[in-house]
Amino acid sequence: MIGPYASHQRRFFSPLDVVLLALLAAMVVWLGPGLIRAGEYRWNWSVIWRYMVRYDPVSDRMRPNVLLNGFFTTIRLSIWSGVVAMIIGLVMGVLASRRRLLARLVTRTYVEFARNTPPLVLVFLFYYFLGQQITAILGLEQWVAAMDPRTARIVTILAAPPRQLPAFVSAVATLGIFEGAYLTEIVRAGIQSVPKGQWEAGYALGLSSRDRYRFVVLPQAWRVVLPAAVGQFISIIKDSSIVAVISIPELTFQGLEVMAATYRTFEIWITIALMYFLLSSICSWGARGIERRLARHVAR
Amino acid sequence: MSTTIDKDDKDDKDDKEPIIHVRNVVKTFGNGVRALDGVSIDIGRREVVVVVGPSGSGKSTFLRCLNGLETADSGEIVIDGIPLDHNRKNRLEIRKEAGMVFQQFNLFPHMTVGRNIDLAQIRVRGASTEEARRNTCELLTKVGLEDRVDAYPAQLSGGQQQRVAIARALALRPRVMLFDEATSALDPEMIGEVLDVMRDLAREGMTMVVVTHEMGFAREVGDRAVFIDEGRFIEIGPAAEVFDNAKEERTREFLSKVL
Repeated sequence: MIGPYASHQRRFFSPLDVVLLALLAAMVVWLGPGLIRAGEYRWNWSVIWRYMVRYDPVSDRMRPNVLLNGFFTTIRLSIWSGVVAMIIGLVMGVLASRRRLLARLVTRTYVEFARNTPPLVLVFLFYYFLGQQITAILGLEQWVAAMDPRTARIVTILAAPPRQLPAFVSAVATLGIFEGAYLTEIVRAGIQSVPKGQWEAGYALGLSSRDRYRFVVLPQAWRVVLPAAVGQFISIIKDSSIVAVISIPELTFQGLEVMAATYRTFEIWITIALMYFLLSSICSWGARGIERRLARHVAR
Repeated sequence: MSTTIDKDDKDDKDDKEPIIHVRNVVKTFGNGVRALDGVSIDIGRREVVVVVGPSGSGKSTFLRCLNGLETADSGEIVIDGIPLDHNRKNRLEIRKEAGMVFQQFNLFPHMTVGRNIDLAQIRVRGASTEEARRNTCELLTKVGLEDRVDAYPAQLSGGQQQRVAIARALALRPRVMLFDEATSALDPEMIGEVLDVMRDLAREGMTMVVVTHEMGFAREVGDRAVFIDEGRFIEIGPAAEVFDNAKEERTREFLSKVL
């Protein structure tokens, strides 16, 4: 195409690029001395390895240590929170797409509340208030106390050690409710992206409201919802770090612990940043794959 | 209003009873537009009524009121003895009794042709999968698409999609078929195949209400024609009469523009 943009794009540097490079150079000059002094910092990466894996003399094997365990806890926490958020998002998203005033009022209130409150505040609110209620209603404490060793092992693998289960459940509830608000909006948008004619065809065929959702609308909404929902799951992974404040031994909390013991600030936080980055990029890579596959499906 | 219906079998005992009864139906949209301004008509069994009129005259709204896609503000609609009111069960019965074909086909794009037609049979009529599929194949044979049962809608031409949509609307064995500008979204070369299917249906004695811009087809297949303008039925009469010698000035004026 010939136009003002075409010739512009062929140039290597635009004026904006020059400005950006100049700014970058200025920053290097400004921060340079500090960076050189930081060069005198004595790096000690062996600390990281020690806290990643440890030798277990009983089984004569290497076992994951606190950092790696924190990593696994973050994964478990994210998956459970994601499941809870998805269920909430699905139910609330369907309600939000309905014409009934009450349904819209309930979902609107929920979404606005969850989105306009800092997640950290929500964590405290849920942990000290709702968390106690939830664990009491579920009878979690008694269940944990009466648990046999085999169940305890399964629970430890799937969620958290029995002792930490009540806190873990509160954390999952908090993250699930918080992220569920975003998923509600994603699901609602997905449902509303389905053309009106699809609803009408389902109606004219005598399908019940439930069947219209189940067979006609939701499968089509899914194409819009799925990529966005995976993106939201990445947010869940990152946001899960806030539950460190209620002593869930996830990655950030473990980082704080190791730092308190070793004072190796840079090594620890660089490592933890890389671990979050690894987890998130695997997910966004997966999301891109799903998106591509869905796009192919539509183009058929 | 009583035009003789020269269709063969007359074994239905309540043949004289209208299958569609519409009295003084008014429909106003939220923006204040009065889409239907007190329309009334009785349609007999096996009758084909064609509805013509300028765009925005209320043709589609009238059709959509008949199966409850739009709710009339006032007036009375009875389909095959079932009043269309706020009773859920009645509304469901009417949706089963009246098949509808849309301008934009509205096939379910994520399902195969076969599954599109199976769905309502299984979910609404409670048919088994095999039973539904057998009926589906029969319906597809009827519209000449028996070999496309496993295709997806996007793989079909517009004309084929609309024939599938007709087969789908027939799947619940409705007593009445409503056609909402079924050929308006089609390329000219595909209109014929869809009209052929509709013609066959009329010949078999299906009660049909057809909103259309195909005046030739309307005159040929319609037993009666309704000319609608500004939400009112300006003229109702035998199709040949309405098309060849309309009584009303507005009908003549409209027809002179489109014929």
